[in-house]
Parts: sequence; C-alpha cells; structure tokens
Amino acid sequence: MPPPSQPVDERRPRAQVIDRAWRDLGAGLESLSGPGGAPLTRTVKLIVLPLIVRPALRPELAADFLVPTEAARLAVLIRESGGRLRATARWFTLLKKTRRALGVVAGNPQDLYFQRCFELATEHGAPTTGAEEVARAVVDDLAQAGGGRTVEALKDCLADPALRARLDAELAAAWESRRPATDAAEALALAAEVLETCTAPEPNSSAYAAMVEVGHGELFGRVVWTRAGGVWGGEEPPAHLGLTARPVPARPEIGRGASTATLPAPLDRTLFERLFVVLQSSSRREELPAVPELVAREPGRSCAPLGLDDESLRVAVVLGARLAVGLDPLGTGDPGPGRTAAHRAVNGRWRREASVLRARRMTVSPRPDPDGGALEALAQDLRTPWAAYMRRLWVRLHGRDVRGAPLPDLASAWAVLDGVARSVMMDHRARVRAALRALSATPATAADAPEPRSA
Amino acid sequence: MTEVHVARGRDGSVRVTAGPVSGQTGGPDDEGVPGPDFTRCVLDVAGALLVWPVLGTPGPPVAEVHDVRRAQQWLWAVYGEGVAAAVHDAAAGHPTGRRLTAGTSALTHTAARLGFGHWAARWWPASYPDGIPELEGDVLGLELAALTHQCQELSDDFDDGVADLIEEHRAAVDPLLRWWHALPPQPDGTADHLERVLRLVDDAADCVGLDGPELQRLRSALDEERGHARASAPVDLSALFARRDGHALAAGAAPRAGGRVIARGAGTNDWRRYPPGFVDSAEHAVSWTARAHGARRQIEVEVVAHVSAPAAGVPLAAEVRVNGGGPHRIPLVRRDDVWAGRGELELLPEAGLPVTATPRIEVGVLLPGFDPGPGPDLGVEREAIRDLARRRLADAAQPSTDGTGPFLAEILAAAPDEDY
Repeated sequence: MPPPSQPVDERRPRAQVIDRAWRDLGAGLESLSGPGGAPLTRTVKLIVLPLIVRPALRPELAADFLVPTEAARLAVLIRESGGRLRATARWFTLLKKTRRALGVVAGNPQDLYFQRCFELATEHGAPTTGAEEVARAVVDDLAQAGGGRTVEALKDCLADPALRARLDAELAAAWESRRPATDAAEALALAAEVLETCTAPEPNSSAYAAMVEVGHGELFGRVVWTRAGGVWGGEEPPAHLGLTARPVPARPEIGRGASTATLPAPLDRTLFERLFVVLQSSSRREELPAVPELVAREPGRSCAPLGLDDESLRVAVVLGARLAVGLDPLGTGDPGPGRTAAHRAVNGRWRREASVLRARRMTVSPRPDPDGGALEALAQDLRTPWAAYMRRLWVRLHGRDVRGAPLPDLASAWAVLDGVARSVMMDHRARVRAALRALSATPATAADAPEPRSA
Repeated sequence: MTEVHVARGRDGSVRVTAGPVSGQTGGPDDEGVPGPDFTRCVLDVAGALLVWPVLGTPGPPVAEVHDVRRAQQWLWAVYGEGVAAAVHDAAAGHPTGRRLTAGTSALTHTAARLGFGHWAARWWPASYPDGIPELEGDVLGLELAALTHQCQELSDDFDDGVADLIEEHRAAVDPLLRWWHALPPQPDGTADHLERVLRLVDDAADCVGLDGPELQRLRSALDEERGHARASAPVDLSALFARRDGHALAAGAAPRAGGRVIARGAGTNDWRRYPPGFVDSAEHAVSWTARAHGARRQIEVEVVAHVSAPAAGVPLAAEVRVNGGGPHRIPLVRRDDVWAGRGELELLPEAGLPVTATPRIEVGVLLPGFDPGPGPDLGVEREAIRDLARRRLADAAQPSTDGTGPFLAEILAAAPDEDY
C-alpha cells in the first residue's frame, strides 16, 4: 500500500523520475529503450530497479512517489550508471545478433539476456575484440541452461525396468499408508477468514500461519481421498473440484509418455505426466533438481495429500478451492456460498474481463445453447469455473513443490491465487479467440468458391 | 488540457473519468463511457482498463484502475503527474473525488489510436450495399503490433500481444514492403507512414525474439533502404492484397419458393450477436418473406454475407419471433452472397387481436454459442458508426489531410481500384 501522501507539488512519480533520468543519458541506449525513447518496461524491471536503484538496500526509493531529495538521489544513481548501461545496450544488441546467427528462438531475449548483459558490461565494459566469442558462449550457455533437465532425459530415466519396479513398489506402499479423513469443515471455515483479509493493504498473516501449522492443507487432502461430495454444501460441485475425473483420486501410475493436448486432471496424472509438465513449463530449469532426483521424489509426493509435500502449498489449495467455489465469471450475481473479499476482487476482475470481451466482440452465450458448438464448450467451462481454476492452481503449486519454493506468508499465497485467476481469464480469452478464428477459417471462401462445395 | 475526475469506487478501484461523464452513469458494468459495446474502444493495460468513446470528440481515456501500484508506471505519462498523484491518494483512502486538469502526451494519442485500431478490427461496419469496404485484417493487425510496441510503457508483462499480432498477421509483411517500394518518397505521406510501421514491426519482432522468412526479408529491406533509392514501379494494390470487391448480390437469384407472399420485411442486424466477418453490416442486411402454401405458412430469411465470410461450416441462425412470442431458430446456409434459410411459421394471433390481423414478425441473425442475447434497438448508434467509417474513408482517400490519421488499412480501403 502506498504510504500516506505528501503535498502534490513536491512529489514526483518514481516512474517519471526514472524516465527522465534515462532520457538524459542520451544516445546509445536504443536496444534497451522503446520506440519513444523511454526505457523498455523490462529494462526497468530487470535492470534499472534490481541492479541500479536496488530498493532493498534503499527502502526510501521503493515508493511510487518520491520527494525531491529522493528523486535527485535516484537520478544520480542512473546517471552514474550511464557508461555501464550503454555497454549493456551494446552487449544486448550483440547477443541478439548472435542468437539469430545460431538459430536460437526459444525464450524472450530480454528475459534471457538482460541481466547477463549488465554483468558483462560490469566485467568487460563495452564489447571489444573477442566479444563475439563471449557472446556465443553466453547464448549457448543460456540455451542449454536446463543442464539435461529435459523430457528426453525423463523418458530415458523411466525406461529402466528395475527403476520402474522400485517406483511401483514405493507407490503401492505409500498409497497403502495414507490416512484418510472425513471432515474438513474447520479448515474451510478458517480459509474463508483468510480470504476475507488477503486483499487488505496489510493482510493479516496469522490465520494463514495457523492453517499451515495445524495442517489444514493435509486435512483437506485426506478428506478428498475419501469424500466425493458434500463438502461444498451439496453433492455438486465434487469435493475435489475437478482435481480428478473420478469421485476420489486413484493411485497414480508411473507412465511412459505425455502430450500437452491430452493431459488428464491433475491427480489422475502419471508420474511421467506430472514431471513432464514441470520440465515443459519451467522457464528456469536450472533451478530444478536433476532428473533422477525429480523421479525419486515424485512417488512420495504423488501419494501425499493433494499430491504435494509442502504444507503451505497444500493450504494454498484449500484457499484456492474455497475461492474457486464462489467464482462467478458469468456475472450471474447468484449469491454464492459465503463470498469473501477475495471473491469480490476476483469476480470484479471477471466483470471487467466480460466488458472487455463484449467490447472486443468475443462473447460466449451466458445461457446453455445446444447449437453452440465450440463456444458452448467454453461457456460451459465458465459455468463450472472451479475446474479450470483448480487445474491451473495445482500445476503452479506442484511446480513450486518440485523446486522447493513454499509460500511463506499470506501475501505470497494471495499473489499465486490472484495470478491463477488472471491466467484462467487469459486462457479463456485465448480460447475464444482461437474458436472464432477456427470458425472464420473454414477453407472455402465466397470469393474462391462461388458454387457451394459438396462435402 | 482536459478536466478529469478522480475517485475511488466501492470496490476499491480508482476511476479517472474525463469531462462531463462522471461516475454517476450507473450500472455495475459501466466503465464511465456509456453506450453499446460497439461504441467503446477498450485497452487492457497494466493495472487498469482504458476506455474511449468511438463516437464524439477525442479526449483522454476513462481509466478504471484496479491495481494502483502497477498503473503508476504509466499514469503520469498518460494523464500527467497531478492525476497520477491523485490516483495514489484516492487509493490510499482520500475520501472524496478530485477534479483536476490532465495533460496529454504522445503516449495519450498513441494509446487512443491503438484503442481505436482494436475497435476497428472487430466492429468496422464493412458493407457491400452501403459501399463501406472491409479493412484488410493483416495490414491492420501489423499496424496494431507497431502501435502496441510504441505503447510498450502501458504494459508490464509480455501478454501485450505484440508477438501474437506479428505471428498472426505476418502475411502482410511482403505486400506492405512492395507497396512501400512502389511509392515515391514524399514527406508526411503514405510512404513515411509505411516505413514507420515497418520499422516498428521489425523492432518489435527483434525485441521479443521473433524470426522467420518474412521478418528476415523485412530486416534486409529496411537495412538496404538506408543506402539505396527505391526502385519505383507502379503496383496494383488490389492484386497485392487480394481484395474481395467482387461481391455480386444475388438479388432475385433465390430458387423460386412458390406459394403466395403474405408478408415481407426487414429484420434487425444486431452486430453484437455474431462475430465479425460473417454478416454484412448494412442495416437492411436481414430480410424475410412469409409465404402461404395452402394451409402451411413458411418464412424465408436472407442475410447478406460479409464479403469475406467463409462459405461453409458456420452455424449462423436466424431468430424469428411472431407476435412477441418465444424465439424460434432457423439455420442459415450460404447461398451465393447470402446466408439463407427457411422454416415453418406458426401464425398464432396476438392476444386480443383478431385472427385476420397482420402478424408482427421480428427476425434477427445470430451465431449460437456467441450470442449474448437480444438487446435494445441500436439502429441510431449503428448509423452513427457507419457515418464515422465513411468520414474516415473520405479522409483516408486524401492522404494529405491530417484529420483522422488514417490507418494503412483505411488508406488501402479508400484507394481507387487502379494502379497506385
């Protein structure tokens, strides 16, 4: 939350201070700047703030508005980095050129190279003789940063019959030793309290911490193992909110392959499919454990409550589930069960999204329509919004579990819950766009085919 | 300089409204710009929605700021620092709204243009009978990519769509290059406009790491241009972009249906009920004829197709209501330049009227699954949009006028069918 305000005339937006100081540096920064001369959004986010301004060391520069002395200090920091930034810009141009020459296309060059370019500029200054060699090494290095953490390696690893036998035994033992439970009411009640506070400027983390400490995530996971319904006030929606296509989850299999298009519900996925998703989607694969270790840990995790080892991540599932049952993407306004501040925030976002989609002529019918085809399927997903939400949430949390990245406080948990809501919305938008494009892309157009074609 | 109003809403979001349209216009979906969906330009930016009215005088956008911290990145650049501070204060709990003066900047104008371009890509009222040509989608798409790149400060992640726009519309790169090469260099003319767009597309592609044959040709053409004069050769624009002007209305070509005509009329062409590119935007694109075949009553519906509508595979439907009764759907299939369908008609008399009274028949066209449902009669607004399109095309036909700042796609649409 922004701090209390000072008089208007004195304060200046930090973004403006950065913009002005940047432009004052003059020419030589084109590759880090937008067409109008402002620094690229990514330049500010990945270079200027974390590497030059460093608000962690200078908390007074972390605010959105700065008083004149702070503004002046920030401008000086940028001015003093002018030489290094110009060198960074030249390294970036060189790296992009090298990348093209080497035929590397994966990833966004800004994300991949910005920080490295700043390091190179710090170490070598501007690129000189021998810089091409360095650039090639960096591009190669970053292209292979996965360090063998690939789907291919996973396939090889899981091809070993001895290993498969061992994993199978582990899965059987771990699945047998589960301790199911039947009542999660206490966890869900507390989840509602947490959701009521998580959008506040100073979220109260204590209820969240209590849930983690008591093990409410584990409790909910144990209930999902045995109870098909009745958790959310009726037989529908199911207790697991679509985390499995079955009434209750079944023992995971090991699996030998996967395809993005046909992935089953999260808790129905094989070990292979679970790890496949992690390897496919992780932008920083070098942070993952090596493939044999990934494989060794997954049987235990897959038989843990909710398929996750870390309790804070399991609590995030409970919070997400409690949030998901009250989502109202179609704006029906039905008074959902105990909507909280978090629901109001996310449903408000859906309402804005709906108005964008109407203005962009990308609607789906709010009422069921048997003739609706692909669009009706998308509308149907909006009528059961929890399934898409839980699916995405689980994948994100599983990725964190694998990387050993828990959610230490309510603010970080809410960032994930809110981010998933946003992703679900963006998914919907992309799917509507694709469905409409498919409709208008039927092969024969009027101009080409004046006569109706027979099928 | 324009006056704006900054106030916090009940949901915690902060709204910046321009001019006389302030927060009291109403409903939960209202963005501070009243009017139907097709009269609003909407831009999704970091932490906020920006909305402009399509009709009426240009001005600063209405902003619905839902994440004040993210929005601080651009608020000062779009509205000036005073408004940025007022939004900050409103979010921090400043109780009452404030009225203050907003500045304008290059970013304000470019953002408005981007918003309008997105609107045009979805709602441009292309119509054969109205003489409003369609806008070439790939040309418009690439110019939107260029504008998005120019407005890069507005977004804080990579879902601003530049990469998608370039990928989807890269087919226009080569024709645009040929068009550019065919034009004599002249200051502030279309050649400059083309070069600006092409350079921005090239830079945007470079920024996000896109590559491919079209983009490589674009890069080398732009590199060459710095050193060489262009080889000017006339070019046929309609051939370059494969324009579809050959829309021959199949008036009277329908198979004779027989029977006795008992009524005929025009239906409602509600643009909101189907996606762009299927139905001609003319007000009278929907027509119907009711016939008597002995005791049976049938209705035939014809809907003029959009010039680039797909020939098959689209389940468009007509919706028929008789005397205010429940809606009844008739599937439409493509026949020449119309979507056509025929169905039985239940002519029950309206309550309180004699059986002999002329039936009241209402016909609409919609895409099932897309249709948000029938709405109020918006004929006046549709006509205003057609007027706007005609005005812009007239401006675009004279590249010297700087009035509307036409898009390349508009210049192309307004160009006469001859060698350029």
